[in-house]
Amino acid sequence: MIRYIQESRLEELFRILSRRGPLYLPLAEGPSLSFRPWSEGAPVDLKTVNSTVSAKEIFLPREEAYFCYRRAGRELALEPLEQEAANAVAFGLRACDLRGLEMLDRVFKDQDPPDGLYLRRREQTAIVALACAEPAPYCFCSLFGIDPARAGGADLQAWWHGEGLCLKALTAAGEELLSSAGELLHEGPAGAEEPPRVETGNFGLKLEGLPAGLRERFDDPVWEELYRSCLGCGACTYICPTCYCFDLEDFGHQEKGERYRCWDSCMFREFTLMAGGHNPRPTRKERVRNRFLHKLQYYPERYGEIACTGCGRCLRSCPVDLNIVQVIRALGGESR
Amino acid sequence: MAQDNLNRDQATARIRAAVTQDLLSGRISLLLGWQKGLFWWRSRPLFARSQQDLERLVWDSFCAVNLSRYLPEELSIEERVGILVKGCDARAFHRLLQDRMLDRERVLLYGLPCPGMLDYRLLAEAGVKEAEQMLEEGEELVIQTGGGEERRPRTDFLLEKCRLCPHPDPVVYDQLLLPPGEPWMDPASRFQDLEARERPTPAERYAYWSGELQRCLSCYACRQVCPACSCRECFAEQQEPRWLGKGAGLNENMLFHIIRVYHGAGRCIECGECQRACPVGIPLLELSRRLAKDIEELYGPYEAGMDPEAPPPLLTYRPEDPAAFPEK
Amino acid sequence: MSEALKGKGADNGGTAAGVGGSRSSGSGNGAWQPLIVAFCCNWCSYAGGDLAGTSRLSYPANVRVIRVTCSSRVNPLHVMRAFQRGADGVLIAGCHPGDCHYTSGNYHARRRFSIFARLLEHAGLEPERFQVRWISSSEGDRFAEVMQEMTETIKALGPNERWVDPRWLKIT
Repeated sequence: MIRYIQESRLEELFRILSRRGPLYLPLAEGPSLSFRPWSEGAPVDLKTVNSTVSAKEIFLPREEAYFCYRRAGRELALEPLEQEAANAVAFGLRACDLRGLEMLDRVFKDQDPPDGLYLRRREQTAIVALACAEPAPYCFCSLFGIDPARAGGADLQAWWHGEGLCLKALTAAGEELLSSAGELLHEGPAGAEEPPRVETGNFGLKLEGLPAGLRERFDDPVWEELYRSCLGCGACTYICPTCYCFDLEDFGHQEKGERYRCWDSCMFREFTLMAGGHNPRPTRKERVRNRFLHKLQYYPERYGEIACTGCGRCLRSCPVDLNIVQVIRALGGESR
Repeated sequence: MAQDNLNRDQATARIRAAVTQDLLSGRISLLLGWQKGLFWWRSRPLFARSQQDLERLVWDSFCAVNLSRYLPEELSIEERVGILVKGCDARAFHRLLQDRMLDRERVLLYGLPCPGMLDYRLLAEAGVKEAEQMLEEGEELVIQTGGGEERRPRTDFLLEKCRLCPHPDPVVYDQLLLPPGEPWMDPASRFQDLEARERPTPAERYAYWSGELQRCLSCYACRQVCPACSCRECFAEQQEPRWLGKGAGLNENMLFHIIRVYHGAGRCIECGECQRACPVGIPLLELSRRLAKDIEELYGPYEAGMDPEAPPPLLTYRPEDPAAFPEK
Repeated sequence: MSEALKGKGADNGGTAAGVGGSRSSGSGNGAWQPLIVAFCCNWCSYAGGDLAGTSRLSYPANVRVIRVTCSSRVNPLHVMRAFQRGADGVLIAGCHPGDCHYTSGNYHARRRFSIFARLLEHAGLEPERFQVRWISSSEGDRFAEVMQEMTETIKALGPNERWVDPRWLKIT
């Protein structure tokens, strides 16, 4: 059954949902848009496609401390730190965000043993997907078989209709979210049983045309050209929904402190710098090649799917306009 | 901005003709320029080594990337590099020259008076979605939207870094390929907007900057794109001592930006690439400009990157200097 | 130099014994006491402190002196680190202009820290929290006065909240 809420009453819905725990919504921060815990009066933007930083940070935060250490004499005590993710709701994720989560799931969740930090956040967070009414010029998720109006893996699908949002539960958790909203929701309007179908462009790329035989092209001269304009910043990796590299660091002094996990980027020199001073990826050429081969070859070899969702963030944000579309084209993945 | 009545295609053709000759004759082995990016509103760096490469060369209203940043590395590979320089690229060149990051003799500079580069965000807000909806007529932009035709001053749509630029014409070049233009910002009044944005109390200033900097991703795009960031090892990555962790804490974000800006004090050419590069839109240029303004107030007029012989104010002193603190 | 300011090792900090603890302990009666870090040039200001001591002048115990070779040796990162680790005020003290042991160190320091002070102000620090003073080796009385004055100013302002690392407070 489709439920409906007026746009003017969304604030009330957020109030109810945030009682369960943190409610993540795309919030405007200057010209940027990121998923952040909602609080009264926060600048929610559920129209812009799509958030500047991907929704991965809800599940893989920029920084999370996970144990603290304490030393007394020769004794070292380790104490796990509690996470705050209990009963969270992530609201407004796009279909590409959810595809990105699938990619992260394979790495962190569907492993034996799974990653405890990720698993907990994932299991305790209900997801409300929001259909894209109109794709941005950067979007090319249709190339990867994503329907921007229908997200896989969400608990609830939402879409704009008239002056409000239609809501359709996809799981029991989704039903529960709807029933918690009670009288705020009305019966959905007639003729709005499904979100309207949306298609993005694909920059002339075709999935079958995507680079094959990359194994043999490790030393291809094309990398020599591609890396040159790269500045070596980590913007693309931090906004990307499928980049998941992290680092572990300690903060504290000899007697007491904590260990935390934080984002890291394969675009940085220090990422592969070893203690003895050797660096297996010494220049930007090796680092650029690694990043894109990871998306186009290593990840697909291991998990069967190209690690790109067509969200277009690297197209929008790279300061020198070096992006995955350009790389796929240069590798000959353009359909003619 | 009168471009000799050349339209951009003609200007591009003229530039291409000039550099093609030098590249084919072996006078330069590489030409740094711009080519069209994925979208009509973006142009990306071009590293041209052949006539075929040069066919992709463009000179349009989106060539915002400061190319000089690439010179030190390219010169470590190439014998002699040609580079197209706008006002900010030229000042960046001086910055690098003064920092002894490159060899003047091995660079050939082709000067391009810059009309200021356009900001897609502002164009989109005005309803421009396709290139065809926008026509540049001298200092005006003719915009076609559903509502009809609108003529607006071109300066309304400039990137902030360009709107504030007092030196759009290159200050150094070996050849000027297009006729000089008319600047739209007087160097003496270039800090006027800062006074209008004065935040009177420390609490307001802290609230503003912590609000802006808390979203910093630590991607270091601002540093990587900066022609004044020339340390071989940045303090942010130094291991011994370790100044900065990789965490996302506000205090570390602010420490990074305060020190980054300070390292550019008196050396920053105000090209605003930091701000343009920031993926989350932090107004980084403001802090650097406030510092440049303070330096002028305390130690006299100085614009970095104008004259490579004039020592940066923080690398020199006069015994009679004033101080920003009580000296008695 | 204090361990905590060296920032040595993977722990980002050194031992807990350095800077810090201004919030937890204080003077014993539970009242908040400011913590002030004073970087003193070896040749003038530190000697001025020595003179204050041998002259039996007293100044508040809130000040922790760190001896440096010259006022121009101080790196703005030292100042930032002090604030991160709980300093409520930071002072840099050097020779009077013209008296630098290295001829021109303090002239450079004057420009650098004038600009750095402005930068901290732009970023939202109360200007009183970061100060620079010239104190010669014969000015034991001035040393004591400067320390007294700075302590009182900071006491009136209250604890510093800018750039304090919340993780540090948890473990000190």
